[in-house]
Amino acid sequence: MTAAVTASTLVVAYGGGAPALEGVDFSLPAGSSLCVLGPNGGGKTTLFRALTGELTPLRGSVHVDERPAYLAQTERTRLDFPVSALDVALMGSLANGRWWLPARRSDRAAARGALARVGLDDRADVRFGELSGGQRQRVLLARALVQDASVLLLDEPLAGVDPASGERIEALFRELRDEGRTLLVSTHDVDSARAFDRVLCLNQRQIAFGNPSTALTRAALERTYGDEIVVLADDGSGGPVRAVTVQHHHH
Amino acid sequence: MRTALIELTLLGVTGGLLGAWIVLRRLAFFAHAVGTATFPGLVVADATGFSATVAALAVALGYAGGVERAGRAGRDPGDVATALALVVALALGVVLASDVFESGAAVDRLLFGTALGLGGADLWVAAGAAGLALAATLLLGRAWTATAFDPDGASALGLPPRAVDLLLLGLIAAAAVAALPAVGALLVASLFVVPAATARLLTGGVGALLAAATAIAVAQSAVGLYVSLWLDVPPGPAVAVVGALAYAAVAPIAAARPATEATA
Repeated sequence: MTAAVTASTLVVAYGGGAPALEGVDFSLPAGSSLCVLGPNGGGKTTLFRALTGELTPLRGSVHVDERPAYLAQTERTRLDFPVSALDVALMGSLANGRWWLPARRSDRAAARGALARVGLDDRADVRFGELSGGQRQRVLLARALVQDASVLLLDEPLAGVDPASGERIEALFRELRDEGRTLLVSTHDVDSARAFDRVLCLNQRQIAFGNPSTALTRAALERTYGDEIVVLADDGSGGPVRAVTVQHHHH
Repeated sequence: MRTALIELTLLGVTGGLLGAWIVLRRLAFFAHAVGTATFPGLVVADATGFSATVAALAVALGYAGGVERAGRAGRDPGDVATALALVVALALGVVLASDVFESGAAVDRLLFGTALGLGGADLWVAAGAAGLALAATLLLGRAWTATAFDPDGASALGLPPRAVDLLLLGLIAAAAVAALPAVGALLVASLFVVPAATARLLTGGVGALLAAATAIAVAQSAVGLYVSLWLDVPPGPAVAVVGALAYAAVAPIAAARPATEATA
């Protein structure tokens, strides 16, 4: 099976500073799903920004089959901006490379279809900033669907999302994978990682990569999260454990 | 009088269209600064007989390029640097006018504009700016909207964010230069920020914002011009005061309406 996403001895730094992320080395087959785990500042977003090409590797290299769709964390978008849910979904059609032309009828149809897929077709004309956090996340996901990319990078799509939106988004992950798309999802939810084909643990460097049964060990999670990890169930075999992370707020 | 009315109508179209993008991209302070930055260039051109348009364009595009470079390097010039540039430009212009070229009488006209001194060349420059603003809005509007809404997301969509940014900054700079003869270096924002800010209170979509900002800017320019002739003041301050009054009249109405209605 061909690799859709590859990172080779990747080192990334911001503006000539110390590396924010190093020693990243993995290869992800096309049509599989990867869960990226790590604490805040662990390098999850940095990895995604290297994969989109926004950050240039200091050393090593990344390869993505084609331009990936990227779903950034929602706090980065502007809530007072005068665009509707449909307007935002329609922005996905800019990725067709003819962004200087007006949107076509087929683009609008694709945007409406994508909103229907995320369960928001009845909210198409509502201003983006008036939607709930989970609904906004689903609209941004719809934008990624309109982009119709074979590789999707989703940065903490489930953070701060209401349960209904969360279920809808996770169901969509399964659909996208069934369509043969490659999915990279970062999350804090260690337990949800078990549903993915592969798990990548990052804490400023690559701690573990593999299928959930080999990557979600107590040792790997403790090296990834430090004292933020609480192991719930450990059968003592050194194999996968069930765990949750607790956020320590440093003031 | 007719020349002045045509000039201000053309500038109203330019200011309304670009103003919408200025408000959406939060470039109001940049638009104000780029106009003022041209002031020393205008003083030199005025005193030496050099083309004011060319001199101002050089300064304005240089300023826009500097802002874009700073932003690209991750060093947002920020409000303090912009304020500093404003103060230096004003001070330098005044010193040049009063002590070097002894052309102090021109300062009023260069800072606040003139209705009677406008000529055919000014009209052509204003028409060019209006045409550029319209063409750019049609061709780049979707990219500007997507970039302003979500810069990271826009570059992931394959938009060239630097080129798109530079085009907007450069166009604002060029359009500000076109507005200088009529409204002066200090009051460029009266056409490029105020009408769009008023329109922003009344509209909830990008298309409606563009249309309303243009309509308000044209109306504000025409009324401002009549006020300026009637009271015998330069058009810059008259247009600015009319614009400010319009904003002040609309703001409480917009605030009184429920948020969903005001933005729908």
